[in-house]
Amino acid sequence: MNSTPQLTEEQRKQLEEKLKNMSPGELREFQKQQCIFCQIVSGKIPSKKVYEDDICLAVLDINPAAKGHLLIMPKEHYVIMPQIPEDSMGHLFFISRHLSQILLKSLKAEGTNIFIANGPAAGQRAQHFMVHLIPRKESDGILEIEEKLIDHEMIRKIKSALEGKLQEVLGVKEKSGAKKEVRKETVKQKEPEHFITSDTARRFHQEKCAFAQNIPTDKKIIMDEKEAFESEKKPCSCVTGKKIPLKREEEQVQSKKMPKGNKRESGLPDEKKEQEQEEQEQEEGGDISLDDIAGLFK
Amino acid sequence: MKCEYCGILDRESKAEILYQDDQVVAALKDTVVLPGQVTVFPKEHFTIMEMVPEDILKKCSVMANKIGAAVFESLGAQGTNIVVQNGLGAGQKVPHFAIEVIPRNESDGLDLQWKTKQLMEDEIESVFKILKEEADKIDLSRKENSKKDKIKKNGEEVIVKDGDTEMKVKKDKGENYLLKSLRRVP
Repeated sequence: MNSTPQLTEEQRKQLEEKLKNMSPGELREFQKQQCIFCQIVSGKIPSKKVYEDDICLAVLDINPAAKGHLLIMPKEHYVIMPQIPEDSMGHLFFISRHLSQILLKSLKAEGTNIFIANGPAAGQRAQHFMVHLIPRKESDGILEIEEKLIDHEMIRKIKSALEGKLQEVLGVKEKSGAKKEVRKETVKQKEPEHFITSDTARRFHQEKCAFAQNIPTDKKIIMDEKEAFESEKKPCSCVTGKKIPLKREEEQVQSKKMPKGNKRESGLPDEKKEQEQEEQEQEEGGDISLDDIAGLFK
Repeated sequence: MKCEYCGILDRESKAEILYQDDQVVAALKDTVVLPGQVTVFPKEHFTIMEMVPEDILKKCSVMANKIGAAVFESLGAQGTNIVVQNGLGAGQKVPHFAIEVIPRNESDGLDLQWKTKQLMEDEIESVFKILKEEADKIDLSRKENSKKDKIKKNGEEVIVKDGDTEMKVKKDKGENYLLKSLRRVP
């Protein structure tokens, strides 16, 4: 399937250099030009086209697992599944269903396999996303998948690891990112209302801040923006949005004031910070991993 | 005997439900190819893919796609395999259509690669002819009919894009709501 011509050492270095300097857009365009399957779609490379519409193309695989092995690919260049828009994904499966029916009926297959590999670790070789549709006969030895029993503890662990991310994905990732930014901005704009502090506190806080809520009502000092910033007190992380590492001094001051609420008080902001950090890491890490997988085909 | 996947819905098995709505379910079974494998299946019982209505199949595939994305990021997978075993001859074990999302890592030791089958030129040509002839009969405009049927049966749930059909959907919805309220009155 891979017909990349052999390059000399020098050519390869040049190419690597070139790839490094490309923007993601350029890189994608470059991949597209290099992609054999894009050339099959455009007709530059001849193929046995069984089915074609605006969105997808189905051809006979030239290295088939069985007679009638079809490749169903989107016409647009995508490397892996998460890059594909919902509509196209649904359409690919819908067309696969139609073609599967044909394989069952006219080739008298006893079953069909849909097989997709995303990423080289999953056995993907082509740099263009595709759905394999393989007609099967019993004991033909194709795609023999053995299943193992796993314990319930493992299932639960996996569930808790997956659940949050899935909800984020289902809630449309881009939107949640955009919302976060908007929220931050609006907070910054709306802030100039008032801040809360006390005689002994070293910082001033927003009303919602856990520190502010732990100041007893009779000790609360309410300041407007001007007063707050002109006072000797420093803004809390809830005001600046920056993560200031908690100083022990502050905890001590506060613990003297309120021995009972101490644990909660010092715990909350830390947790918040951790969560924020985690979210950020997840987002950054996530984007990188997807691009990495797509990029492995360079 | 009751279908295993329908049993998951009734909490009769050790599987954990990861997600469900009124049409699609994503569950973690206790028999898997690799840990982290997620099984996506329609709530309604369909044995093989050919029986699954278009809109539900599309929803299942979109859900599998999203789970694939989530698996990449939360389980640190380096890749995913999406597998449908459609029919006994294809290794289907539970008589309920499902899409398996299998998270993969370089070091997991699973090899799903098949051997290439050597075919004669004329074999390829004849298969191509048969498939092409049948595939030419795929009529995408027909899907509108099946959708309308679906609408009449289920009320809502249908995503239709172009203006005309959207109107029809709305009308149908209206009728259905009327019908429902009529039923409620007596």
